[in-house]
Amino acid sequence: MKQKKVKFLVGSLLIVSAIGYLITIGISNTSQYFFTVDELMSQKVSFAGTGMKVKGNVVNGSIQRDPDDYLNVNFLIEEKNASLKVSYQGVTPDMFIDGGEVVVEGTLGKDGVFHANTLLTSCPSKYEAEKEAGKMHPGKFPEADKYREPGLNKAEALPKTTI
Amino acid sequence: MNDIGEFTLLLALATALYGCVAYVMSARGNRIDLYLSADKTPIIVWACVVISSICLWKAFLTDDFSLQYVWAYSNRELDTFYKISSFWGGQKGSLLFWTLLLSTYMLVVYFQNRKKNLRVVPYAMAIMLLIVVFFLFLINFSTNPFERIPLPPEDGRGLNPLLQNYWMVIHPPTLYLGYVGFTVPFAFAVAALISKDLDDGWIRMTRKWTLLSWFFLCMGNLFGASWAYVELGWGGYWAWDPVENAAFMPLLVATAYLHSVMIQEKKDMMKVWNMSLVLLTFVMTIFGTFITRSGLIQSVHTFDEATLGYYFLAFLFVIIIACGGLIIARLPLLKSTNELDSFLSRESSFLFNNLVLLGIAFATFWGTIFPIISEAVRGVKITVGPPFYNQVNVPIGLALLALIGIGPVIAWRRATFSNLKKNFLKPVSAGIVAAVVLFPVIPLGNRTEIYTYITFVLCVFVLTSMFTEFYKGTVSRMGLHDESAVGALATMTWRNKRRYGGYIVHIGVVLIFAGIAGSQAYGTHTEKHLQIGESFEIRGYTITYEKLIAVEATNVKTRIIAQLAVERDGKRYWTGHPEKEFYKGQNQPVSEVDVLSTWKEDLYMILADFREDESATIKVYVNPMVSWMWTGGWIIAFGSMISMWPDRLEQRRRLDRVRRQEQLFPSPAQE
Repeated sequence: MKQKKVKFLVGSLLIVSAIGYLITIGISNTSQYFFTVDELMSQKVSFAGTGMKVKGNVVNGSIQRDPDDYLNVNFLIEEKNASLKVSYQGVTPDMFIDGGEVVVEGTLGKDGVFHANTLLTSCPSKYEAEKEAGKMHPGKFPEADKYREPGLNKAEALPKTTI
Repeated sequence: MNDIGEFTLLLALATALYGCVAYVMSARGNRIDLYLSADKTPIIVWACVVISSICLWKAFLTDDFSLQYVWAYSNRELDTFYKISSFWGGQKGSLLFWTLLLSTYMLVVYFQNRKKNLRVVPYAMAIMLLIVVFFLFLINFSTNPFERIPLPPEDGRGLNPLLQNYWMVIHPPTLYLGYVGFTVPFAFAVAALISKDLDDGWIRMTRKWTLLSWFFLCMGNLFGASWAYVELGWGGYWAWDPVENAAFMPLLVATAYLHSVMIQEKKDMMKVWNMSLVLLTFVMTIFGTFITRSGLIQSVHTFDEATLGYYFLAFLFVIIIACGGLIIARLPLLKSTNELDSFLSRESSFLFNNLVLLGIAFATFWGTIFPIISEAVRGVKITVGPPFYNQVNVPIGLALLALIGIGPVIAWRRATFSNLKKNFLKPVSAGIVAAVVLFPVIPLGNRTEIYTYITFVLCVFVLTSMFTEFYKGTVSRMGLHDESAVGALATMTWRNKRRYGGYIVHIGVVLIFAGIAGSQAYGTHTEKHLQIGESFEIRGYTITYEKLIAVEATNVKTRIIAQLAVERDGKRYWTGHPEKEFYKGQNQPVSEVDVLSTWKEDLYMILADFREDESATIKVYVNPMVSWMWTGGWIIAFGSMISMWPDRLEQRRRLDRVRRQEQLFPSPAQE
């Protein structure tokens, strides 16, 4: 009787410790610092070269796209009077707009420019909450009307496959 | 109308509070008069919440912008369809919706059980009423959906375009039905603890509820994944975001619970474990709500309201301490009569399945709260992202997949070599054959690809083991009853709904595993800025940007559509139309992706951007095997339906079993 109990206790412990080991290794291999812009700027140690996430708001009018390579974007993010220059290569999300809150993930270069691999924006429900709190972002998004120029084709019946 | 809505909410709170106290007092003091009066409260509470909800719906449908909530989530031009779903589009309404579902569940439980077991049911009703009280308290005093605007504006602000999607109508209610449903087993478990009526009565009473809630939770997660996939336009379906984790963790714990109750039903073991699991499942649903509503954990889609978070946290602590204490106090009564015999038995495979499921849940939990812990302990916020979850959960998930193949077919108590051979010869050989056949075909360059290879081999193993079960049953039935193969299969499944329904669910789960593995390992994507007429290649598809079309769809919506020709082997294969939609009054466009889905792979197109010269940035993903996941989801739904279907045969079998036990151990009749 006792023996069986010990046997199962040992078996379960083995599984639990294997999972625990995986978690520990996973944390130490993949964890990243998470700063807001002002926190990052007030750090005494240099974090150049380490991977991290930084949160801030896009500075109005700072979004610059490379005229030759549309997917190359440079912009500034700020939080409490500290700002950070970010460069990002890729398609930007719909809600990447002036004043919008973003989280960038990447590495801080020695030149002080943050090279982002991913660019995340806040989701609609949170965005709504911010608006409710009175933080309206005027935004500068291209109005669709501007593009309705003679060159554009009029609609045809469009079959659309979505799942 | 709004006054009525507000008043009925208060009335519901008062009634629920009274009902809760009266139920407990009637059960403690054996007072039938109090019981009779308490026994009316669930109906009154339900009616009040329904009236209040109707009032809110009416405000939405009649464009009553004197309500702040209606103003914030609707406007005159919104489709009626979305006006109805705006009800749960924001914080306040979703709490009311939650309460509506909870009180409806409570009402059904009330009608199902009120003439039964008078020792347990009053406590169960009291617990459910107590939870209703908590939510009604929040609604009344913290997030009242009937909050007025003194000077009603002309028009509302409108629903966020990202939420104007049919998934928005389906996904949250499905998830809520799952979340809320676990209140029922939880309430009965606590009632059993309080009343010391600790046989498996509460498990039998709530078995269907557990299955139903599990089913909704599972569907809710899958619907969420599909929503993310077709609507959010980043090519993926799961990002290990805290909010997704919040829905995933209760599903894992509930799955563990669903399995371990079988051991208690059949073998009268693991009583403490089951109590802890049902408590944990409920705690996880509240914790999930807490995550989405507190804004405490950095996520891309929370409601962001701190005060509400504290209420949830307090509620969570009370539940854990009260129920934990109760379980400890009842420990002597929860002793099992049987014990585990051998590692090679169904009992122990269920135990391991539980440990593995809880392992995944814990890893997910730890990753979700790690930023908070690290900030508290080390003063720096440290986050973990998808790499962490993948690195930890994939190996554990593979162990789980293997157990799906082992658990349902291994013998009870102690498997001998001969029945191991009988049950596992075919599946293991099939697995080995798959391993050998796939080895030269499949790339094995990195860790992901190796994991995927193992997943496929295990999938073959599990599927063979499941199909062998169906095959064996069908053949033996055909021999006995002289039925056709299809007839025998159908009758066999119908006569043993729980067992074969479960197997079907497992087949669905295997397909989901395969779909995840395939799409994670072999996906590819590219993004190009194109002029009209330019083309590029991806995975054998040649994609040509043909034209840009502007459509004024409605007064408030303008669609900009890119037309992309897809060629394969020199032949036109498909025309894709990804688009961007611009809504009046919203300063951000919405990307609508276009997907060509086949069983082999999805071709997934996004119009990322466009410019005045009609050049456009197109992002294309090739996601292999994604449709396997959705197919797996439908199979799970089908299997769950079968095992949930009311079963007279099973009821008779159960009665027989109870009678036999009573003959063996004479005891006064319980019902």
